[in-house]
Amino acid sequence: MAQFIQFTLSRAVMAIVTLLTVSLIVFSLMELVPGTCAERYLAFKNTQGSQITVADIEAEKKRLGLDRPFLVRWASWVENVFVRGQFGESCILRLNINQLLADKFWISLGICLAALLAAYLIAIPVGIVSASSKSPVTNNVLRFLSYLGLAMPNFLLALIIMLFSTVMFGDSLTGLFSKEYRDAAWSWAKFGDFLAHAWLPIFILGWSATAFALQTVRALMLDEIGKLYVTAATARGIFGRRLLWRYPARHALGPVINSLGFDLNRIFNELPVVALILTLTESGALLIESLARSNDQQLAGAIIFLLTASIVFLNFVTDIMLALMDPRVRRGLMG
Amino acid sequence: MDAVVETPRLDEERKRKEAYFTASQGQLIWARFKSNRSAMIAGWALIIMVLMGFFAPFLSPYDPTVAGRNKDYENGAPQIPFFWDHNGFSPRPFVYAVERERSIKTNFRWVTTINYEKRRYLHFFVDGWTYSLIDVRWDLPGTAFDVNFKALTFNKHLFGTDEGFVHLFGTDASGKDIFSRTLHAIWTSLAVGTLGVLISFVLALIIGGVAGYFGGWIDSVLQMITDAVRTVPAIPLFMAMAAFMPDEWSSEMRFFVISLILGLVGWPTLARRIRTHLLTERAQEYVLAAQLAGAPSGHIIRRHLLPSFTSYIIVDLMISFPYMVRSETALSFIGLGLKDPVNSLGALMQNVSKADVLLNYQWYFIPVIFFIALVLAFVFVGDGLRDAADPYSSVKK
Repeated sequence: MAQFIQFTLSRAVMAIVTLLTVSLIVFSLMELVPGTCAERYLAFKNTQGSQITVADIEAEKKRLGLDRPFLVRWASWVENVFVRGQFGESCILRLNINQLLADKFWISLGICLAALLAAYLIAIPVGIVSASSKSPVTNNVLRFLSYLGLAMPNFLLALIIMLFSTVMFGDSLTGLFSKEYRDAAWSWAKFGDFLAHAWLPIFILGWSATAFALQTVRALMLDEIGKLYVTAATARGIFGRRLLWRYPARHALGPVINSLGFDLNRIFNELPVVALILTLTESGALLIESLARSNDQQLAGAIIFLLTASIVFLNFVTDIMLALMDPRVRRGLMG
Repeated sequence: MDAVVETPRLDEERKRKEAYFTASQGQLIWARFKSNRSAMIAGWALIIMVLMGFFAPFLSPYDPTVAGRNKDYENGAPQIPFFWDHNGFSPRPFVYAVERERSIKTNFRWVTTINYEKRRYLHFFVDGWTYSLIDVRWDLPGTAFDVNFKALTFNKHLFGTDEGFVHLFGTDASGKDIFSRTLHAIWTSLAVGTLGVLISFVLALIIGGVAGYFGGWIDSVLQMITDAVRTVPAIPLFMAMAAFMPDEWSSEMRFFVISLILGLVGWPTLARRIRTHLLTERAQEYVLAAQLAGAPSGHIIRRHLLPSFTSYIIVDLMISFPYMVRSETALSFIGLGLKDPVNSLGALMQNVSKADVLLNYQWYFIPVIFFIALVLAFVFVGDGLRDAADPYSSVKK
């Protein structure tokens, strides 16, 4: 048990180190873009009609602490985020980023995780069956389908579904909430309404994720299924589903669990495109808004950091899960 | 009698075996690749598309930029060439003439009608707008990097009409020929992908090579950075960066920055693979021998270690290509990448997201088909190469 705690702690430290590195990368990138937060805000105010002088910019810089050296600012940002969980204020909107993002971030994350779950719920059984199937027709069809999942841009899929639904049902399926629930507090009714709208983005995000997952599961199963221990198990008279699930599948699924974090990464990559199409009100769409129109680096940094943090966290969880599930690792750790 | 027939076959068999055992790695890979039918088909499709991209100006009847727009046929439907109709057969393919009218009858709006009695014959190798097959124009900040190089200037085009016009894939809202735009877009998207792959390849080679060869704390630090870069979701990051690109940047500048961003985010996977390979390889005797002979580290990495898995690197590059093309498209689609006057597949696909287009102008979707074909071809070829380069995959003689 002590070893297990030690293992968990070392993984946690590694996760935090990764997060720190990421925060440094993101912070530096946000630093590299032309213009500072102060200039941006005042330029915005200038467009609203107020007169701006150089002295104003300097004063604003001082107020925001932008005159301090780069590393000091990074350290204070990290301290705010890691210790207090505060992302500060956005550059232009002058609103607290935590309040601005909270709901949107959780909704985005929920949709992405649901898509990931759906992808594996389909991919694992289908992948296992297809790897063990000898029929070339099944194999080729599955292969082609999973390639199509990669090649078919998911915005196209979204457009087709929306077109179909507009023509057939007269409802364009956009948005995440019906009008009456948009500003309401969370309740079961609102949650139900949300679910009724969320299936489409989940489906579209899950589409290419399923294709990827299917390929991974299938390749891993094919590697395992030819191994001697499977033959040995067959020789002992185990066959069919029992054989597949108890022997090769358990080996093959280890790496799958390990790669969950990167699958989430891939889904995040699709999020902005889908969000744009469906004009959802979640992080992806907000990211576009905050970036494309007003280029707000505080907000952008916070969003990218949050997305990365959820991936790192998922990686941490899967590491622990794998350690608990794999008897070889478990025995090594728990004695 | 039997023996006479048997001997040459045995001889052939022996020869084939000999050829197999003496074949170089490249020959073996090629032999395995050739036996993979879907990969071969995809390979041909890919070659055709690349050639189509390169010879785009020759193949396209109209200039894909605003200069070549047809203001009499905006949002025009595709025109399909026929060989025969109710007026009889013609050895020369033709399209129908399109007439535009605005009068009190049409409520003073422009209405286009197809005149089924008037034929517009297609002529081949016609003279048209002037183009250069090799046309490098970089307008980067600072005059030192500006390149303006043109070669192979022609004005012959594969086909065209003597009067009227022909738009095989229709036209877009400003009357630009979608067929011409698609062909040019393939080339741009390929170029962005190639540049992105090259940048990420060089980075992966350096970082993975150093980490794998030196090991120890250098490896640990580099691994940490690699892992961190790998976890950052690329597209949102692109968006963050792309949004700060000033609007006044030239399209070439945008093009370079996008390739650069794609390359800067794409290297970790390959770097990791190179590192793992080097870690196992550097303990081999031939490396020790080279070290004892006094070869410097750079020389050993370059001359001894990297050639040991060139084929894997090539396969990896091939596999990462469709992802680059996809990223470019996604980025352009969101409107943060290459923008409309530039012909990239992403920029073309950006046009399809409007409801108007969905319901009325479905031919805007034709470039999407080319995109799907391009990505599929890359994936199949990449997969075929991976199987072919794997010495443990089942070998068919």
